[in-house]
Amino acid sequence: MTGPALRATAVSKRFGAVNALKDVDFVLEPGEVHALLGVNGAGKSTFIKIISGVYTRDAGTLEVDGKAVDCRTPHDAMMAGIATVQQHPELVSDFTGYENIFLGREADRPRFLARIDRTALKRRGDALLARFPVDIDLSRKLSEMPAVEREIVAILQALAGDHIRVLILDEPTSTLTEVEKAVLFRLMRTLKASGISILYITHRLEEVIEIADRFSVFRGGRKVATMTPAAAAEQGLSLAELMLGETLSSVFPEKAAFPPGETVLSVERLGHGRAFSQVGFEVKRGEILGIFGLVGSGIDELSKVLFGALPPTEGTLSLKGRPLRARTPREALKAGIFLVPGDRRLEGLALTQSSVFNITIGNLGRASGFAGILRRALNRRKSEEFAARVALSPPNLSMPVSGFSGGNQQKIVVAKGLFADADLYIFVEPTVGVDIGARAKLYGLMRDLSRTAAVIVMSSDCDEVHGLADRSFALYKGRPIMRAGEIMTRNQLLLAGILGEARDA
Amino acid sequence: MPDRLTLPAGFGRFVAFLILVAVVAGAFALIEPRFLSSQNLSAVTRHMATNGLAALGLTLVVIVRKFDLSFAGTACFAAMTIGFLIANGYDLWVCILVGLAAGAAIGAINGIAISVFGLPDIVTTIATGSIAGGLAFLYSKGRTIFQNFMQSGIIDLNDARILGYSVSFFFLIAIYAVAWFLMHRTRYGASFQATGENPVSAYFSGVPTKLYTFLAFVICGMTSVLAVVLILAESGTADTNEGANLLMPAYAGVFLGAALLGGTSVLATLAGTFLITMLLDGFSLIGVPYYYSDGVVSAILLAGVVLFDQRVRMLFHDLSTFLLPASEPREKRP
Repeated sequence: MTGPALRATAVSKRFGAVNALKDVDFVLEPGEVHALLGVNGAGKSTFIKIISGVYTRDAGTLEVDGKAVDCRTPHDAMMAGIATVQQHPELVSDFTGYENIFLGREADRPRFLARIDRTALKRRGDALLARFPVDIDLSRKLSEMPAVEREIVAILQALAGDHIRVLILDEPTSTLTEVEKAVLFRLMRTLKASGISILYITHRLEEVIEIADRFSVFRGGRKVATMTPAAAAEQGLSLAELMLGETLSSVFPEKAAFPPGETVLSVERLGHGRAFSQVGFEVKRGEILGIFGLVGSGIDELSKVLFGALPPTEGTLSLKGRPLRARTPREALKAGIFLVPGDRRLEGLALTQSSVFNITIGNLGRASGFAGILRRALNRRKSEEFAARVALSPPNLSMPVSGFSGGNQQKIVVAKGLFADADLYIFVEPTVGVDIGARAKLYGLMRDLSRTAAVIVMSSDCDEVHGLADRSFALYKGRPIMRAGEIMTRNQLLLAGILGEARDA
Repeated sequence: MPDRLTLPAGFGRFVAFLILVAVVAGAFALIEPRFLSSQNLSAVTRHMATNGLAALGLTLVVIVRKFDLSFAGTACFAAMTIGFLIANGYDLWVCILVGLAAGAAIGAINGIAISVFGLPDIVTTIATGSIAGGLAFLYSKGRTIFQNFMQSGIIDLNDARILGYSVSFFFLIAIYAVAWFLMHRTRYGASFQATGENPVSAYFSGVPTKLYTFLAFVICGMTSVLAVVLILAESGTADTNEGANLLMPAYAGVFLGAALLGGTSVLATLAGTFLITMLLDGFSLIGVPYYYSDGVVSAILLAGVVLFDQRVRMLFHDLSTFLLPASEPREKRP
């Protein structure tokens, strides 16, 4: 019998008011390499998390080898024959390859204080290598292995469970060089030949053509296409276009109505180590500049260099015409720069404190008077004013900010920025974990801020950057990809950010 | 319709604390009626001043999410420094100022090592505390210093009374009032709290987090010296282990207070110190040997820390949701 290795029928998942996944039908053939494509938030991550038992689906059915399965935990998925290799696998760097592969499964039957039989581990590891031949020395410690060998160890670890039928790889090539990538692809072909199906998530479109038998495109929580790369080429369909489809243009506010004013920040040939280099741009009062970059493209480091949290290793910065040398965020804030960080819970908020505390902490000079005594009435009044301006809901300024939703927590960070009264606002991944309604409000606030200040938005969400910014460019592997005047169409921006190409699309 | 009466946050915990105090005091008074005598109450307030001063600096260190295990050793060193200066006939205020400077210096060493160089707080402060404790022996080869104590006026600190209570108690209340104002009404207090709550977000908000961590250790060194000055005043001599008994009551005060009042703060420490001092004093009054009463109070400290610890509370929370599966998560929307 040769039914599909995996069949998903009408799978749906909601998070609150957001349809993360809607009526997805999906078939994975035995021995197939199937690529999953889609922009951030398209639903592909939700889909694999449902298959691998991290999330529970709201509706739909899953079958492995024709048998209905119900993966409620990652362990259930493993027992059903589905193994996942995470984007950043959790491996023990002081252990050898053999030890990592059988971590927690050293003995066939767990016994208290059982001795670890290294000879048996080696025998079992070599048996695994005999099934899936790949050139690797598993007796070395993980810390001594290059990135691709660590990836291989993670894959072998996933395959060490019995009768694995489906292997899920989440962006396995993101940290690999071209040569290493070829090694990984060779292993993938070996696995395929032994009948294992591979679900493969990637942002790199050229890899899809190289390795995938078929691909599926996710957009807005739906699967919009499944085809072979050859068929796509025949029909003249561009993968980028398929990924994009139509934007939710209504979420975004109008573009700047007036020509921008004075230049607030100008950056020349800026770089930080290997993270990014040769970045140059200007941002003026009255406009929003967008920078699109995937994880690892250098946007995180760039935002931290602009905010004084990381030192630039090359290039110059000037703020309002004067050289800027902020060595700490404190100095950057004093100079008039405010960062809305990408991880608001970790970097933006004191979660057990009140909104008033969080709003005022970014500008204690303004919040206090003689002898550093806090102006409590003024701080309360200003916090109320800014909370109203950002439409904080519920408008309770005394409760700990941990009690607010993600979108409202982000609004508190924006209110904190209003209190800091900066000339330049930098937003990093401003809407991660923010639902659609609050998202529109936040975009409106950013446009609002840009009327009196300069705004930079950095995001791995291409639509967000393009929909919001007046001008934009992309960062690809630390390199700026831009066009004259930083005017790019959405597809140009997407291609620039995910392929590093400035060609037309 | 009148508005429903709303109580300030933490009011319930405060009432619970008062009831606990009443129960403990009542129990001691039943066993030993002298517990409520003015003589004993005066002693409780004096010991509370000592424990409370040591706990105050520690409170700041705990607020910035660090530990200081050195202040007992620092106090021993400062005690011998002050004793040595008194014996050599210096004015009392000079002796105390030099002692405070010594405490600040050791605190500064801790602060620089931990906040600038990023050394682990526990190991660093055990080391500096041991060194300070060892240095305490240098002045007199470990012998007790008592010369000139009677004439120096330090004894008066112990004996002076206002309304029948020791001056030191009023000093304690005054310094706690100042500390409360500093922590809750000034930008400096906000910076301490932001540093402890989330150092990354504080740093991104322009708070000089390393400076505030440093300051917490300096203040902790200095308040432990203030505490040991009161011990010197009570004993009338300087001994090399004069500050050694400050560690446990101070930690107990900070953590028991936090457990009772729902978070580390100046007032919580004052409350915790009050309870701990009452317990220690009560046990000694009814004749429980110190090695038992220390054990009991340490057990109470342990219980307080366990209750205060987020992870432990989460464990209890998880356990209760596991045992009571009736509480369904959240209803799905139609």
